Amino acid sequence: MVMANKGVFQAGFNENNQEFIISGKLRPSNEIELESLLRGIEEAVANVQGRFYLNVKRLAYINNIAFCALHRVIAQLSSRRLDVQFVIVTSSVLGWSTRKFSAIAQRNDNVAVAEYDTEFYPGQSFLEDGGFIPILRNQTRLTWRHERDLLTQHGLQPGTDVADICCGIGDFAVLLKKEFDPSRLLALDHSRSSLEYARKIASDFGLTDIEYVYGDAAELLIADNTFDFVTCRHSLQIFDKPDMILRELFRICKPGGRVYVTNEKNSHCLGEPRADSIQWTYSEVAKLFSHFKMDVEYGPKSGRYLMDTGFEDVKVDTFMVTNRDGDPQDFAAVIQAWEDVYAGQMARDRGDSAEFIARFRQGFQDHISAALHPKGYAGWPIWAASGRKPL
Amino acid sequence: MCSESANELIEVSMRMDDFSSEWMHCDRISSYIARLVAQDRPDPLYYENLFSSAMNELLETVYLNHGSEGDLTCRVRRMDETDVIEIGLPSDEKTSDFYTDVVSALDGRDIEDLYNAALFAAGQRDARLGMFELAVDYKAKITVLTSSGRLTLSTQIAFGGAQ
Repeated sequence: MVMANKGVFQAGFNENNQEFIISGKLRPSNEIELESLLRGIEEAVANVQGRFYLNVKRLAYINNIAFCALHRVIAQLSSRRLDVQFVIVTSSVLGWSTRKFSAIAQRNDNVAVAEYDTEFYPGQSFLEDGGFIPILRNQTRLTWRHERDLLTQHGLQPGTDVADICCGIGDFAVLLKKEFDPSRLLALDHSRSSLEYARKIASDFGLTDIEYVYGDAAELLIADNTFDFVTCRHSLQIFDKPDMILRELFRICKPGGRVYVTNEKNSHCLGEPRADSIQWTYSEVAKLFSHFKMDVEYGPKSGRYLMDTGFEDVKVDTFMVTNRDGDPQDFAAVIQAWEDVYAGQMARDRGDSAEFIARFRQGFQDHISAALHPKGYAGWPIWAASGRKPL
Repeated sequence: MCSESANELIEVSMRMDDFSSEWMHCDRISSYIARLVAQDRPDPLYYENLFSSAMNELLETVYLNHGSEGDLTCRVRRMDETDVIEIGLPSDEKTSDFYTDVVSALDGRDIEDLYNAALFAAGQRDARLGMFELAVDYKAKITVLTSSGRLTLSTQIAFGGAQ
């Protein structure tokens, strides 16, 4: 069941998830305009058992007329169906959403509010605190020397509208601004601490025209067909539903524009000497991330997923960041930051033994030794892929 | 009221009878103004969403409560983190009494109770609800000024979380 009103809002019921989804804008002049929507909710609830989800995470606007109508129906249904737990799924991306719908939960015992974003990203806590910032800074410094040319090959042109989704600390956006001078540059991330850092960096460089935006990559508030070139780097691999993000990237890209993604295959990190120790540790990195529902083996799959999303003219490249790219200390610093978070935090949170963690750490240290050894070689492979949105 | 140091960002005006001929004018004006004034805020999309939500409630209130002859004017001024939305409208005694009474109520200690009562009232919607919401949820400071058949509704609002 799907219903819509003048293209303003959409609503539908997913029976498999027992989830009624409302998205768009609800600003009616009276409740009568919402009659079919309210009846749809009533019909959906009549057929559920256990838990009913009212998903409003993409409901960008609601006026009080619509809110009061929704409350009235939810209050009636929840008092009638005491056997059902009503869960209203809101989004932290909208400043009013959780606060407003929480008022309904406070007045009705079997109604609760769940803020979607915090539950959506299983590993997000590792990435959203400030501890990950050193990793991101060094990574961008190392990858940029490869990506600067690749971006041109993948279709990025100066003076176009560009979005960097999952921008992290915004250093890639700063480099994009300097190198390609986009006519519009929006950089979005779901980490407030990263965005705070990003704005500071931009301010330090005197860059005032990068739009740093707090948002959810899987549920963007950005209008359809907005950007000529959309980047999303090292991010699909750390979400458990990358297909949802790809669909959003597709949606905000203009027809004829391109979406560019980079991802890794961590088990293919390599080094000499002590290759076996290094290989073991990075194979374990992949398993560790998998435990937290993240796929750091995503890189070689990027092209296929772009095609499955509907992109055409898909291009896939690989490049190897190595200790020979510049200062080997930069490479070593990245590995050290990985060890600190992966062995120091994630493995511990998974409940790994001290013996495992010691061996796990050793592989990182061997990788660092390989990077810093005058005759050593250390590598970190990355897949860059892009696709064109059909006209 | 807005201080002299505030920067004027935008002003929109139209005849009140044109404005009140179509409910969706509230949405269109609030969306248009929100998009423009959010541009140089640190998080434009987040700010635009909150600004539009607040301004739409003001305009819907005005749509339902205004005098008959004259123009609707919407002006936004900026004072650092605070934006001031000034809505000018034709006013008669009934209109003036409505806004004066609402603004008086906003200063009372029981404003949160009034807001919740209006929000969850059974039956006919409380026309004061939108302004109550701005005062309680957005901590807006609303004042009203009447002069020669016109009324100016001034709303100082800062979206603290819009980073």
